[in-house]
Amino acid sequence: MRVGYYSPLPPERSGIADYSALLLPELERRVEIVLARHGRTKPQRDTDLAVYHVGNDPVAHGWIVEALRRRPGVVVLHEFVLHHLVAGLTVGRRDAAGYLDAMERDSGVVGRMLAHGVLDNRLPPLWETRPEDFPLAGEILDLAREHGLIVHSRHVEERARAAGFDGRIWRIAHPAWRPPAVAPAGIEGEPLVGCLGHLNPSKRIPQLLEAFVRLRERFPAARLLLVGSTAARFDLDGWLARFDLTGDPALVREPYVEETRLWSLMQACDVCVSLRAPTMGETSGSVIRALSLGRPLVVSDIGWFAELPDDVAVKVPVGEGEVDALVDALARLARGGESSAAKEYVERAHDVGRVAEQFAAAFEEAAGGEAVRDAVLSDVARAASEVGIPADSPELTEVGRRLREAGVGE
Amino acid sequence: MRIAVCAPQVPFVRGGAEIFADDLVGELRAREHEAELVTMPFKWYPGTRVLTQAFLWRLLDLDEADGRAIDLVIATKFPSYAVRHRNKVVWLLHQFRQAYDLDRTELGQFGESADDRATRRAVHRLDKVALGEARKVFATSRNVADRLERGLGLAAEVMPHPPQSLDYRCEAYGDFILSVNRLDRAKRIDLLLEALAGNPALRCVVVGEGPDRARLEQLAAGHGLDGRAEFTGRVDDDALARLYARCLAVYYAPVDEDFGMVPYEAFLSEKPVVTTSDAGGPLEVVTDRRTGLVCEPAPAALAAACAHLVEHRDDAREWGRSGKRLAEQVSWDATIDRLLS
Repeated sequence: MRVGYYSPLPPERSGIADYSALLLPELERRVEIVLARHGRTKPQRDTDLAVYHVGNDPVAHGWIVEALRRRPGVVVLHEFVLHHLVAGLTVGRRDAAGYLDAMERDSGVVGRMLAHGVLDNRLPPLWETRPEDFPLAGEILDLAREHGLIVHSRHVEERARAAGFDGRIWRIAHPAWRPPAVAPAGIEGEPLVGCLGHLNPSKRIPQLLEAFVRLRERFPAARLLLVGSTAARFDLDGWLARFDLTGDPALVREPYVEETRLWSLMQACDVCVSLRAPTMGETSGSVIRALSLGRPLVVSDIGWFAELPDDVAVKVPVGEGEVDALVDALARLARGGESSAAKEYVERAHDVGRVAEQFAAAFEEAAGGEAVRDAVLSDVARAASEVGIPADSPELTEVGRRLREAGVGE
Repeated sequence: MRIAVCAPQVPFVRGGAEIFADDLVGELRAREHEAELVTMPFKWYPGTRVLTQAFLWRLLDLDEADGRAIDLVIATKFPSYAVRHRNKVVWLLHQFRQAYDLDRTELGQFGESADDRATRRAVHRLDKVALGEARKVFATSRNVADRLERGLGLAAEVMPHPPQSLDYRCEAYGDFILSVNRLDRAKRIDLLLEALAGNPALRCVVVGEGPDRARLEQLAAGHGLDGRAEFTGRVDDDALARLYARCLAVYYAPVDEDFGMVPYEAFLSEKPVVTTSDAGGPLEVVTDRRTGLVCEPAPAALAAACAHLVEHRDDAREWGRSGKRLAEQVSWDATIDRLLS
């Protein structure tokens, strides 16, 4: 069986490119993969199925959506909120009508009116201010309906269902990297609290800074490590100044770092923090890495993060009581040491071989499942009709129920 | 209790699984239970036939029979465990291995077409439902339990089944190696014949029938084993017990076998078992130089192992007796207690 595979890949800098780079070697042991060249949207010949990785970045995923439109297939939906992607594919290409239609499809006439407001510069861009309220996933869900959807969390599965998606959904965990043998970076702190990954407003950096300042009252030698590029419209320096952390040696700042350095920095942390709100339905490679290393971890009690087992991450609420809970969590974990539960959980649930096997199962079911169901149903129906049992009889209804129950018919 | 023992039947084929199901029914009856064997023919090819045939079990109504409730269903191997019952226990001999560990091997069934791959996955789904809903799942060996865990993530308790009832005894450590098995490629009788070809001092008796018989006989002839490799076909219980009683050792080395009754039957006859390091289930009871010999799956290594026993009959006797002590620990009383608990 040959599967056309559409995804960003290294050297592109994207979490999904890293994800595919991790998954592909294991996947190729199970299924014949035909990689689509970046930007090539023409359907591949001689493949049984096409698989499209869809995320929110129009640069990384625009061409993949175009290919999906030309040949529907299985969609791996990495996040549910796709407003930024859709805006890039419409407004970003001077297709105002396309954006109006997408907003109307998502939120009716009100959505269309809001889109007009954005296009007329009377409202700030919704993809920056309120994307979570207008996810704009409708077209992608439609295109995935025939072959199915792969998601990483119950959160996204439920949102897809709530949006009316009635196709097949496979929920498959994010695979985990095997931690490289690197020494912890030489950064001291008692404790050293780390926040690693692209820094943007949804990472709750202001709340983290406030909590850190309060933590230092109880742990004077505490340090905070912020690692990653900063989003264009996020004023990190302003926030550091507001909490009087500008130039403070307790605040260690590193920009985007290469993979080996990232692991080394994470190894040095006593606690890792990965807050998120609002969530776009995404998973976090940073969280998976931290768990692989057995780092004590604090996350927001939201979306995929809330689905992590309680014994591998402390979950803090978003909004009221958030900073208090965060301070308590950091203080509690400061002396906790390595989490064997986290390592065991990752080995069990996020093992890349297991994930690849689940992907292969999904691909095989998507490509041939319907033909198999038809063959079985036709066998049963023929036997029934030969002895005079009509298709709409209670007997055959019961047979259909048993087939579904046994996973043989849908 | 009223107990239905469920087992599929491949018409005109009888082997260990059929003996096992009959024995289970007999042992349950001997303990005052009302037990019945429920069976259905099974054909697993071509294409999706494996699914439609498996599904037949799902349509059975075994809640009651003749107006009286059936208290317990004990299902044995694929696809009989697809049966529905409020009190279903599975004593798993094996799953449909072509969909699991034999896939993409020369013993596999499913090709690389999208339909074949999807059929294989449908077998997995059916297994997951059918085994997942059972009140308890026992596996006849660690090997079978591990395969279940690897394939579907389901846990099973290991419970070997006692061997068939025969007049087990030891009369001599004779001059032949005995093979008791269905003659198909997976049982690897050809390895034994090739070992004999490499050592003119060895003899064997091959008991059993199967689709590979003609090829094996040709192989024996091709190696010039006339007189040293005897094919008996299927034999009756008395003849089988006599062969066990008089052989030097028993060869049993299928590829990654589930478990198989043969090692225990050999042990009860105080005979060591010669097997290979990739034989799977037999390795749970055949320990090298304690209850037999474990060699590499290569003709020369097997020939050397058999030759050792020819030259060291004391070892054969000692290891056979150790095996007997092991086999005597597996009793129907204990296994039936666990099944019904």
